[in-house]
Amino acid sequence: MDAAVSDTSPDLPAPRAFSVLRDRVPPDMAARVAARFGAAGAGPESGDADGGAAGIPGDGGPGPAVEAQLMERADHDRLRAAFDRNPFLTVELGEGADEAAALLDDWSGVSAADHPHWPGFYLSLTTGSAYGLQCAVLVCDELVRRGVLDPQRRSNTELCLHEAIANAIVHGNLGLSSATKSQPGGYRLFSQMMRDRLDDPAVVRRRLDIFCRWSDRAIAIAVVDQGGGFDTDLAPAVTGGKARSGRGFVFMRALAARVTVTDGGRCTVLHFDRGPGDRSPADHSQADLLTG
Amino acid sequence: MDFKTTETAEATEVRLTGRLEFTDHDRLGVIAAVVQGARTQRFVIDMIDLEFIDSAGLGMLMILQEEAETRNIKMILRNLRGDVKRSIDLARLGEIIAIEA
Repeated sequence: MDAAVSDTSPDLPAPRAFSVLRDRVPPDMAARVAARFGAAGAGPESGDADGGAAGIPGDGGPGPAVEAQLMERADHDRLRAAFDRNPFLTVELGEGADEAAALLDDWSGVSAADHPHWPGFYLSLTTGSAYGLQCAVLVCDELVRRGVLDPQRRSNTELCLHEAIANAIVHGNLGLSSATKSQPGGYRLFSQMMRDRLDDPAVVRRRLDIFCRWSDRAIAIAVVDQGGGFDTDLAPAVTGGKARSGRGFVFMRALAARVTVTDGGRCTVLHFDRGPGDRSPADHSQADLLTG
Repeated sequence: MDFKTTETAEATEVRLTGRLEFTDHDRLGVIAAVVQGARTQRFVIDMIDLEFIDSAGLGMLMILQEEAETRNIKMILRNLRGDVKRSIDLARLGEIIAIEA
């Protein structure tokens, strides 16, 4: 299913082929992958309609390509199976999604086109699937499996990632404000609003993207949603006493080496040190993996 | 998250199992109803089998604390360990809610 792609530089890891779980890659999708993930200069190619082999941007050509796994619906087992193939890009298109609509989804919210040879992986899910998947556990499982995340550092990494994902789902894609919980009996209203949003097909199709990259010294994880964003100045820096919300950013800032929020609050990037010892400015410079 | 409720003459106890996180808001109403129906003045949340709690889960504890205070019930967190203790210590919840080893 995979096809070898010749490398243009002996110093870089061999680019991986683009492969899929579906029968073929729609030409539009292949073009999007090519444009977004580093197949610059390679024209999009349609997939092999017969054999389940994939359309491969740059297949056989000189440009770099990325290996991708596309699936109609994501669950724990499907994602584990996909990760076992070490893809760069894993995308859930959405169950029962209209093909044309799926192609219009902006499932690649973070620019991964820069430095496609750097190690990393990119997971794009619908909100409906991400809500119940414990994505932080899955991603940390994968980082440990790839030898990137020290199991002793896992707990703090997983909590930070969980908080970023929870924010992206609840406040981003579901558009729910914690202020609701501050009203008398507000937690019941909040719970009902959450159920209502999860029943809205347009809402649950919004994408949650998780993009991990690493170097020898650092890991950077971006969590991207398609919500309305928020004013990052309002994110609390300290624990808010009896407050019913707002501790997620406190956890992230306490446990990650660095937290940056971009795109009007729709993208949270967590930076973690990999090596032993305390954080240092040199380590942080190594962590600028998602912004180049 | 799952939970089991027991009531003695001295205390109403809820034992949490699994993960208490942002997907558990529906369960909060059920546990709050336990507080509201308690016939004792002590409400104990046993966390010995709780593996993980996130900031939303901590917010739920704050809501339960308020429900208990409203009814002059003392709420106590018991048997914190591992990642759960880490999160509760980070949030300094011990300054607000009673904690027993």
